[in-house]
Amino acid sequence: MTISLAYSKTIGVVNNGFNGRGFANPYDLSISRDERIFVLNRCDPARFTAIRVGICNLDEEYLGEFGKGFGTGDENFGLPSAMAFDHQDNLHITDEYLNRITVWDSQGNFVRKWGNPGNGDGELNGPSGITFDGEGNSYVSDQNNNRVQKFSSDGEMILQWGTFGQNPGQFNLPWRITLDFSGNVYVADWRNDRVQKFSGDGEYLATIGKSGTGDGELNRPSDVAVDKDGNVYISDWGNQRVQVFDRNGCFILKLRGEATLSQWALDFFDANPDEDETRNNAALIPNLPERLRNPDDESSQTEPYFWGPVAVTIDQEGRLYVTEHNRHRFQIYCRV
Amino acid sequence: MSNKDFKLMAHLLRRAGFGATPDELDGYVAAGYEATVENLLNPGDPGNLADDLIKRYHVDMSELRQLDSAASYWMYRIVTTNNPLEEKMALFWHGLFATGYSKLTQARSHLNQIDMFRRLGMGNFGNLLIELSRDPAMIFWLDNQDNHKDAINENYGRELLELFSMGIGNYSEEDVKEAARAFTGWTLGNAEYMSMRATKDSIWPYGRIAWHFDYRANDHDEGGKKFLGESGNFTGEDIVGIICKNPATPAFICTRLFQFFTADNVDDEGEKVISQMTQAYFESGFEIKAVLRKLFNSSYFKSEAARFARVKGPVELVAGAIRLACSYQTTSLGIIQAAHQSNFMGQGLLQPPTVEGWHEGEEWIDSGALVERINFVALEVGDVEKSGIRSIIDRLAGLEDGKLTPSTVVERCLEMLGHLSVSDITKKALTDHVAIGGNIDLSNHQVGDKQEQRVGELLSLITASREYQLA
Repeated sequence: MTISLAYSKTIGVVNNGFNGRGFANPYDLSISRDERIFVLNRCDPARFTAIRVGICNLDEEYLGEFGKGFGTGDENFGLPSAMAFDHQDNLHITDEYLNRITVWDSQGNFVRKWGNPGNGDGELNGPSGITFDGEGNSYVSDQNNNRVQKFSSDGEMILQWGTFGQNPGQFNLPWRITLDFSGNVYVADWRNDRVQKFSGDGEYLATIGKSGTGDGELNRPSDVAVDKDGNVYISDWGNQRVQVFDRNGCFILKLRGEATLSQWALDFFDANPDEDETRNNAALIPNLPERLRNPDDESSQTEPYFWGPVAVTIDQEGRLYVTEHNRHRFQIYCRV
Repeated sequence: MSNKDFKLMAHLLRRAGFGATPDELDGYVAAGYEATVENLLNPGDPGNLADDLIKRYHVDMSELRQLDSAASYWMYRIVTTNNPLEEKMALFWHGLFATGYSKLTQARSHLNQIDMFRRLGMGNFGNLLIELSRDPAMIFWLDNQDNHKDAINENYGRELLELFSMGIGNYSEEDVKEAARAFTGWTLGNAEYMSMRATKDSIWPYGRIAWHFDYRANDHDEGGKKFLGESGNFTGEDIVGIICKNPATPAFICTRLFQFFTADNVDDEGEKVISQMTQAYFESGFEIKAVLRKLFNSSYFKSEAARFARVKGPVELVAGAIRLACSYQTTSLGIIQAAHQSNFMGQGLLQPPTVEGWHEGEEWIDSGALVERINFVALEVGDVEKSGIRSIIDRLAGLEDGKLTPSTVVERCLEMLGHLSVSDITKKALTDHVAIGGNIDLSNHQVGDKQEQRVGELLSLITASREYQLA
């Protein structure tokens, strides 16, 4: 099946201050039932207050934020890594430093926490991805234990699979995890440069991608999303791009990013016309020297390109959101 | 292999690296001195903590927008590399071609400069100076984006001659101006926008945009120039070529290298070594590697007199302790503290105080810095759970059935901290302290037990000695 994606808009602006609109190294994005967009700001402990969740909408209204920054309290975060809404519209946030998952209601109120550190059944070591099925069961990618664990809605471990390795069904520091509409599980098997597909019971089904920089090849994939048609969207983190594969794992297209100014960015330039004027005379897609022609350097020098495309999210309308941790924004693409 | 071999190798690794663990020292000694010098001069895979792991764990080190993130990122490299001389040379050039974050506010481009020192720091000096002249961080640091054919800015031309190659007294004011003319048009891509952002410290809207070199031919002064007695339509490359072949250049560079690697103060014998280094510079066609080879293989460098003749710089001290304890071999939030520590001691990575770099030697030590130095190292080596310290304890446990007299344990610990030479008074004080608790019995040691803690305490005490502050 062939699909086309058209760039729609960019939302975001850098902000690692105490509060207010903007993002600080956003690491994941989830959408609530009422279509509010929740953005997980990873930032870093030195700028501890900026580690929080920001909320906005497609109209670029900044609606608020929650979380009390770096720390070990219930409402603090260590290194938050991923988040997902459950069937009751509660938001679960994994924390790979504190080895726990905190649960918040959709208004940003702390509800509870679950998970304990370790490598035993049900224990966590660097949880880095989470997703829910329709029955409220969660699947967690247990990064440093190189496994996936499935938990019931009351936190009981039901199933686990995976060990360290390169064979089918094995993992090397898995990152994010997602389900398709048939209940199959997709894992971004980060350091094996592939995405693995499993049945909901953990049976290995298929592999998408292999190491490399060519079409269909991956370099440290961080996240995966699947649309209603079964197309698979992968954030090809190390190659600074997003790739789309069909339901059979065949490469369809790639995106490099084409960010424009968000409304929040336009507001900044309205207040700083001198910067706006010099920017208008600059080549924002420069012709770089040979030595800098690699994805990371290109992205660091080329503002419209994805830089740190860490998360891919698809909403009910089929829109694709690509979250970039180094550009403090997300770019939105629509199916055409 | 004699104890003498180990002492000499420990000396080499303190100077051409950041010290060595007992296990590393065994390997180096087995390879031999000259072979080790060649290995250091011809680095292979650095084997440092992988970039992808660092950038996944520390998102700030993926973006590299903040000074502390960038300094920590470099510290990871220093403490985990298998190519210590490569990092040492990057540190040397960072001190000589001192570029400071305070003006740049551009940590990623700053680190790109450090990476250039890694790539070219032991190669041809001319290539290094040309790349330095094209380096975006240097261009902005010394205002070469404001050096235009109709209005020259002499900053870079002056420092290139005074601080980066020949030294004051070997050129005229006219030479400075002519050099500046030759570097007109050497600028940053999008120079006006990038300058404005840097000047305003603007991170908006989407964080920093890293810099790259741009040559503007229409802003380059193509007219005739006279420089150091030669005439022509010189370009920047031509200027570097003339500088490199001037005898003042190797005299200046070799002296700085000698002081960095051998002795803070240059005596008559040292002058002779510098003369030999200068000869190697010309014979090799300006290769820094040949200069270093001559230095490290010189009798002077290997002599007893050269040992412990330098005060350890803060980065050397911090990195040496971390490498000995084998800390930060995997990602850890604590790495930022390691980077902060060297700053507290007076040498923040990416933060040289001025374009002249740091004042080294005895100026590293004052009462405040000394406390910071001792406290940091004592904590590192006193932690018996760190794998490097466990290795030392395991070695001790393997001696004499693990039952060690105070004098034996002091001797062995001095060896394992780098074959330190300490005064008789220091040695007696250390031995007397251990003797308070009697012999150390590691025959049935458990992690963190009292006997192990006594070893950790002794290691901490040794690193608090005057002698440990010297390289």
